[in-house]
Amino acid sequence: MTLLLAALWLGPAARAADVEEAQRVQLEKARAEVADQVHLAAFDLVDELVYGWTLDPVFEAPTAVVLAEVTVPVGLGTALRAQLENHLGAVLLANPSTNVQLVHCPQCTAVVVHSGPEATVISRGFDNPSVLADLGADTGKHALFVDVEAEGSFLVLRARLTRLTPDLPIVWSHTIASAAGAAPLLREPDRLMSASEARDVYLDALHDRGLIFVPVRLAIRTYAAPGDGGVPPPPFLWLQTGVELSPTDARAWTSSLIVGYSFIPQAYQGIMAQARVNRLITGRSRALTRPDLYLFAGAAAMSVWGAATASFIGDEPDADDIITAITGEGPRTSFGAIQVGLDLRVGQRIGASVFLETLPDLARNINFGTYVRPFGVGFQSFGTEVTFWL
Amino acid sequence: MSFDANPPAVHAPASEAPAAFLGIGGINPAPGPNRTRTWSRNLECAWLAGQAGPRAYPGVIEPPRPRGDYIEQYTMVCRERALRLGLRDPIDEAILSTMQGTTVDLVERAANVDPALAARTWLVEVFVPSAAVAYKVSFAAKNALVGRGLSVSDRAPTLSATDVDVLVGLPATEAYPSACARYALDDGDVLLAMMLLDPRETSLHAGLCVDGGWMWLP
Repeated sequence: MTLLLAALWLGPAARAADVEEAQRVQLEKARAEVADQVHLAAFDLVDELVYGWTLDPVFEAPTAVVLAEVTVPVGLGTALRAQLENHLGAVLLANPSTNVQLVHCPQCTAVVVHSGPEATVISRGFDNPSVLADLGADTGKHALFVDVEAEGSFLVLRARLTRLTPDLPIVWSHTIASAAGAAPLLREPDRLMSASEARDVYLDALHDRGLIFVPVRLAIRTYAAPGDGGVPPPPFLWLQTGVELSPTDARAWTSSLIVGYSFIPQAYQGIMAQARVNRLITGRSRALTRPDLYLFAGAAAMSVWGAATASFIGDEPDADDIITAITGEGPRTSFGAIQVGLDLRVGQRIGASVFLETLPDLARNINFGTYVRPFGVGFQSFGTEVTFWL
Repeated sequence: MSFDANPPAVHAPASEAPAAFLGIGGINPAPGPNRTRTWSRNLECAWLAGQAGPRAYPGVIEPPRPRGDYIEQYTMVCRERALRLGLRDPIDEAILSTMQGTTVDLVERAANVDPALAARTWLVEVFVPSAAVAYKVSFAAKNALVGRGLSVSDRAPTLSATDVDVLVGLPATEAYPSACARYALDDGDVLLAMMLLDPRETSLHAGLCVDGGWMWLP
C-alpha cells in the first residue's frame, strides 16, 4: 500500500520535472537561435566602433589597451561573448591605424582581495587602486569596456575607455545603435568602411552585371504517350541562347527571347524561338546569398524535321506532308507551344527549371497523350532545363 | 547608424525594413485570425505622421500629396524586438528595453540640479535585483554623463561590512540617505545612484550624494 501511494505521488512529480526540463531546453534553444540571429548585427556594431577609431583615433600614438570586459545582451550565453571578443580582437589587429593595441594584463583581470581600515574589497584588478598603482609601464594603461544590449527593437553597443590609474577616469565613451531588423553590412575586417560605402558596395554587387543577360540553356522536352497505341516522338534535346532583360536591379520581373537548335544525326533536327516572362516568387528582389525561384509563362514556335519526327504528322497528313513524302525529304512539321514552369536560380549564374507545354496544333494528334489536364487544358509536353548565364 | 551618448531618441536607419505597417494596404499589427498574440506582443510600434514616414521609408510609405490630403495620414511602423518576450525576466526586460531613454533622462535631471557640480568627478552606482542589469544601467549612465562633457570615474564607492549590515535592514527611502553619509567618497566626488525602491516597480529612481548629503532627483 505504501509503495502504491509512493508511486501515485511520485508519478505526477516526475512528470512535472520532465515538463520543467523540457521548458528549460526550449528556452535555451530559443536563446541560442536569438544569439545566432543577433551576432551579425553585434559584429556590425563592433565594426562601426573600430571604423570610427580609424577615422578619429582616441590616441595619437599606438597605445596598449586591456580588453577589460565584453558583455552581451542579458539572457544570451557566453558563446556570443567569446565570438564578440574574438571579432573585436580580429578587427583591431587588422586596423592598426586605430592606435589601439590590445595587450594581456593578468593582474588587471584577476580577482583580488584588498583589506583596509575602511573595508575589505573583493574586486577585479582594474577596479582596485592598489593593483593599478603597481602597474608597470609595459602593461596596458587603459581598459576597454564593451557592452552590447538588446533594447526593444534596437541592438545598442556602448564602449568606454578608462585610464588605469587609481582615479580610474573615463577618457572616452561612445554609444552606437542599430535596429535589430537592419541587414548586416558584413564588412571585411581589413577593409572597414562606412555604412553608406558598404551600401554602395552592396549596390555595386547588384549592378555588376547590368540589366541584360545572355543565357545558354540545355533543354530536354519529352512528349506524353497516348493511351491508345500511338507512337509519341522521342525526347528532344535543345541547345538554346538569346537575351534576358530585366527592368530593374531587383529582377522581380524578367523577360527573355531565346532561339534554339536541336540535332541528333540520322534522327531529327529542329529550330525554335521562344519568349518568356518570369516572375520572382521568393521575395521582392533577387537574393545574393540564397537561390531565387521564378514562375514563368511563355510561348514557343518550333520546326522539326527528320526521320524521327514522323509522329508529329499523325493520321491527318496535310499537303506539305504529302509533298515531302513524294520528294523523299522525310517528314517535317512546325507547331506552337504555350508553357508554364518554375525556374530555380542561384546568383543569376546557374539555374534549373521544369515546365509543362500545351501544343494546340497537336492536341488531337493520335501520337500525343497528356501529362496533366488542369481546367481542361491538356499539357502534352514536359521539359527540364539547365541554364548558365554569361 | 550611430548616435551620440546623449541623443534625443533612439532612431532607425532608413534602410531598415519594418515588420509591419498599419496604413492603407499595410499589415495590421494587432492580433487577428492569421496573427498570433505572441507575434503582436513582440512588435514595437510607433505612429509616424506627415513627412516622417516617407522620409524614413522612401518608396514604402507614400508621401502626402503636394496640395495636402483631405485628412492627415498616420502610419504605424512596427519593428520586431531583438529578443523575444519571455527569454529573460520581465523586470529585466522592462528596465533594459527603455534603458537608453531612462538613463539619459535621469542624467539630465541630475546634471541640472546644480551647475556647480559640473566641475566635480561623477561616480555611478545602480541598485536593481540583477547584477548584470545593474552593470548595464551603470554603463549607460556613465556614457550619458561623459556625453554631457562631465568628468566621470569608474571608481566604486565602498561601505564597510558593518554599514551594509545596518543599511539592509532600513526602508529604501532611509537606506540610501544613510548610505550616502557612510560612503568613502573622495573630496569633490558626486555619486549618482539609480535604484528600484519597490521590488514590484520597473521605473528607476535616482538620487545624488554630494558631500555626505543625499538628494532625491525631482
